[in-house]
Amino acid sequence: MDHSFEPRIVYMMCGWCGTGGAETASAHRFSYPENIRIFRVNCTGSLSTVHILRALIEGADGVVISGCHPGDCHYDDGNYMARRKVALVKTILDSLGLDGDRVWFRYVAHGEARRFVDTASEFNDYIADKGPGPLATRSDT
Amino acid sequence: MDKRSTVLVYGTNLGGYRAAYALCKKGHQTTLLNRGSYVDEYRNQAMSQLPFDFCWICGHMPQRLFKALGSLSVHYNAELIEVTGKAGDFRVCFKKKDQVVDNFACIECDRCIDVCPVEVGDRKAMYVSPKVGWENIYLIDWENCTKCGKCEEACPTAALKLERPEETLETYVGAIILAPEFDEPEASDLGLFAYGNSPNVVTNSEVARRSLLTNFVSDSVRLPSGKLPKQFAIIVTPHFNKPGVEYENYNLSVSAIDRAIRIRETMPDSTVTVFLRDYRGFGKHQYRWYQRALERGVNVIRTDKLSVVAKNGDGAVIEYGAKPEALPVELAILVTGQKPPSQMENLSKLLGVKSDGRGFCNIRSHSSVETDVDGIFAVGEFSGAKGNPETVWEGCAAVTEAMKYLGKPDFSPPAPPELRSVKGEKGKVGVFICSCFGTFNDKMDLELLKDSVKELPNVDHAEIIEGCCTPPSIKETVGKIKAAGVNRVVLAACTPLQKLLKYRKTVMMAGLNPLLSEFVRLREDVMNIHRDPDKMLTKALSIIRPGVARSRLGYQAPTLADKFLPKAVVIGGGVAGLTSATEIAANGFKVALVEREETLGGKLDYLEDDEVEHVKSLITDANESPLVDVYTKSGVEQVDGYAGNYTVTVSTPNGQVTVEAGVIIVATGAGEYEPSEFLYGADPRVITQAELRKRMGERAGSKRVVMIQCVGSRNDEHPYCSRVCCNQALKNAIELRQKGSDVTVLYRDITGYGPEDLYSKAEEIGVQFIRFDPDKYPQVKASDSGLEVSLTDSSRKKPLAADLVVLSTGVVPDLENNQAISRILDYPLDADGFFDSDANAFPYEEAIKRLTKPFELATRGIFPAGLAHSPRSFDETLLTARDMVGRALVVLGKGRLPSPNAMYVAEVKEDFCVGCGACVDVCPYGARFIDPVRKVAVVRPFLCDSCGSCVAICPNDASFLRDFSGRQSIAVLDDVLA
Repeated sequence: MDHSFEPRIVYMMCGWCGTGGAETASAHRFSYPENIRIFRVNCTGSLSTVHILRALIEGADGVVISGCHPGDCHYDDGNYMARRKVALVKTILDSLGLDGDRVWFRYVAHGEARRFVDTASEFNDYIADKGPGPLATRSDT
Repeated sequence: MDKRSTVLVYGTNLGGYRAAYALCKKGHQTTLLNRGSYVDEYRNQAMSQLPFDFCWICGHMPQRLFKALGSLSVHYNAELIEVTGKAGDFRVCFKKKDQVVDNFACIECDRCIDVCPVEVGDRKAMYVSPKVGWENIYLIDWENCTKCGKCEEACPTAALKLERPEETLETYVGAIILAPEFDEPEASDLGLFAYGNSPNVVTNSEVARRSLLTNFVSDSVRLPSGKLPKQFAIIVTPHFNKPGVEYENYNLSVSAIDRAIRIRETMPDSTVTVFLRDYRGFGKHQYRWYQRALERGVNVIRTDKLSVVAKNGDGAVIEYGAKPEALPVELAILVTGQKPPSQMENLSKLLGVKSDGRGFCNIRSHSSVETDVDGIFAVGEFSGAKGNPETVWEGCAAVTEAMKYLGKPDFSPPAPPELRSVKGEKGKVGVFICSCFGTFNDKMDLELLKDSVKELPNVDHAEIIEGCCTPPSIKETVGKIKAAGVNRVVLAACTPLQKLLKYRKTVMMAGLNPLLSEFVRLREDVMNIHRDPDKMLTKALSIIRPGVARSRLGYQAPTLADKFLPKAVVIGGGVAGLTSATEIAANGFKVALVEREETLGGKLDYLEDDEVEHVKSLITDANESPLVDVYTKSGVEQVDGYAGNYTVTVSTPNGQVTVEAGVIIVATGAGEYEPSEFLYGADPRVITQAELRKRMGERAGSKRVVMIQCVGSRNDEHPYCSRVCCNQALKNAIELRQKGSDVTVLYRDITGYGPEDLYSKAEEIGVQFIRFDPDKYPQVKASDSGLEVSLTDSSRKKPLAADLVVLSTGVVPDLENNQAISRILDYPLDADGFFDSDANAFPYEEAIKRLTKPFELATRGIFPAGLAHSPRSFDETLLTARDMVGRALVVLGKGRLPSPNAMYVAEVKEDFCVGCGACVDVCPYGARFIDPVRKVAVVRPFLCDSCGSCVAICPNDASFLRDFSGRQSIAVLDDVLA
């Protein structure tokens, strides 16, 4: 797809399934959009709403949080906590008129190379269609 | 001559791997002989039996770790030549041939594949199988390889050599563990099922292998034509095959049911029919799986006779039953059993181990894994048809039983390098860009990257390195780090998932704490996936910049170690408890054995004479051992502390006693179901199997005996199989029949699993078997002339007349006691009231951790054994007890254990902490508590797995991971977007 601007996308991935998905994609030599920026954490459960908001304030047009499938969290329940936090953040963003749909939470397992690549492309197209994020153009933080 | 402490493991079945892992971890140098050419070339047990389509070989045997530490030597294409000597001092002579592609030296750069000139279909003669992201195996298709040698030239680390010489080596060991994998039936063995000449008949292990590669069950059952079948038949072949061709382990019915559930769940419009003789799953939750299958619409057909006819590539027809009936299907999946080991003859000649008459290796009576030869052990499928759980238990049981022939563990890994403190130094960041032995130069201008990195803020030094994952390249990189004079290191190479320890070693050898470094994935995030050079440069900088920020703000702190008390507490003095206590004490550790009754021994009434003798000798050992403190008429009141540092309060008749322990073994046993149905208690002619066994002499006069199976088992109240009742009933039935009685067994499924085929024997001598449905239990009525047992089956109008009705009552947990112990230990019970098992831990990751790291902290040092865990036979109780002891022995001797996550643990900024306790609740490992005096959170580094949940939840930013603090993570995030 031909885009007039290249979105700045932050991928917040856990160290197990999240980066695992990226690594399996790499093992298969799949290509995906170059404009995703990787922020790796041990577990999506260690992400705070602060991290997500900071990313948006610092210029991200979209944020994807990628963690293990329910029941597969390496640390038992981190992904459940992350899910709730993301739901909370999206509600806050929506109520402030800041488009909570720019934050996605998707489960991608370690071996799901294809799913990782498809998510990256899908999100890239989605954000590119939406245009720059409402906070991304602010420069007074 | 002192006993040697080294061990040889021959073969790589799951039990063998587990034994090798436990022994290495315990400190015994181990030699592993792999008959294949790569780590899991033979992986039968896992592939076709484990109902998960996962093999977990990588978890069961972290070869790289132990090889790197020096405690494990692995040899491929290996075969034994000669074994002489005796237990404690064997001389083993073996031949081996190194792998063409040395697994440990291969860096997976793919250059060999790129230069290979031979194309074979959609791959080359040089190829990778399977591709899972890391730990890939590079193979050569010898049929098509032209031996041009281009791959060997291209390999940057000299890992590939087409010609490897065969070598002969010798080694001296104290014990030998035999763990060859089982042989699957060949096409000629499966002729009855039309296997081998039809695309519509496959084996379950083929389906499992395909699942591993594709991750989708639908792809793994796709026909060669490309069509996805809709009608499936799943057949447990040992139930129908000629006797003696393949042997069944109890996993097979379960695998069949599990395969059926998966197909139904992924393909809802499919029809799945499972054909078996009986559903013989008696393990934990396996009856519930069966119920789930029925809920999911799986059809289960029980029949005695079955064959398959292939229809010329257009499907297959299952012909079954007496008539016979016919069911056309598009795909028939054969769940096959095991053949007697092909290795038996050879190993018998070499080692003197004897066969048991069926072709499997004989095991001494009441031993779990000891063969007829001292010091030689047989683990897993070599000694009988085995399901996964037994093979896995036998792995650690081998550790327990081998101890008496081995010297003290004498291997400890080399001490880590001395680290210097960077306190007071100005932070200087060095970025080292790996060229992956030059292979990255093809894809990107590394000089340009290096220059761009130098321009980044806060970067003091940037350099290109050759590699940091082979000993020479590590040495070279260490030299460069030292010469650069930096005190923060960013390594841009490939994934730490595979090479983390090598990278940490590189940084540590340069004298720096790894917390001051960061490893970014130049290969996975840039080189392998992108093509545009400008974009690749931007992407590379976008991963290096945050790495610089993270390492710059790193907080250096040491690895902490905690003491691990070399003591154990065993709760329960039955056969499992006695075995645990005596075996642990025999290894020199103190044990407190707590039994609530007045005498030790447990439920001796249920045991055979030789079993009672065995228990009595254990009681003598326990009483006489100076290391075992026996507390009878006592109970455990309270347990404080954590793994390695438990304080147990025991209430004894002489008051309360406090005992310290590193591990706790729960062997509290179970009880018998007391029936109130079938006139039991009201009529003296209705008795239980146990009562019959005890009074066999008197009862032999009863002419007509009817037995009813599954009394109190596999129903709503107790939805599980009680394991022991079928065998007990068959034994009793055979004995009664031999004494002249007419015996009829009314049953639902016969789970007569064990070394002897009692079911066939009973049928041969004329015991009658009549099946009834679960919702149509028979009814017993009394009359003056005798008892009448009526079946509600419409085809039987006349009830059976009986002089004696024998009920096969099940095993029930001692719920009140188990719940109390569960509360005290904070150890969960499963849905049936028994202590939970490893494989059923929640979530799934916990189960994997406990199964693959059986003596590390996921288990919290608490090990349930025997009937406390689930219904077991006598020998199985001994096996689980020895398995738990084996696990405990690995950690008990350590004295001090470093925190498993080394220096990567959480800490608390006490000035900021208000003691709110949110972090304590959120920690999945119980690694935190609030100090009651100082009202601040305290971390137990020993239990911290470094997940970061505490960091996210702390309202005051008081909690931080040493490599993920609030300040650091925000700086990193800012640089991600810079």
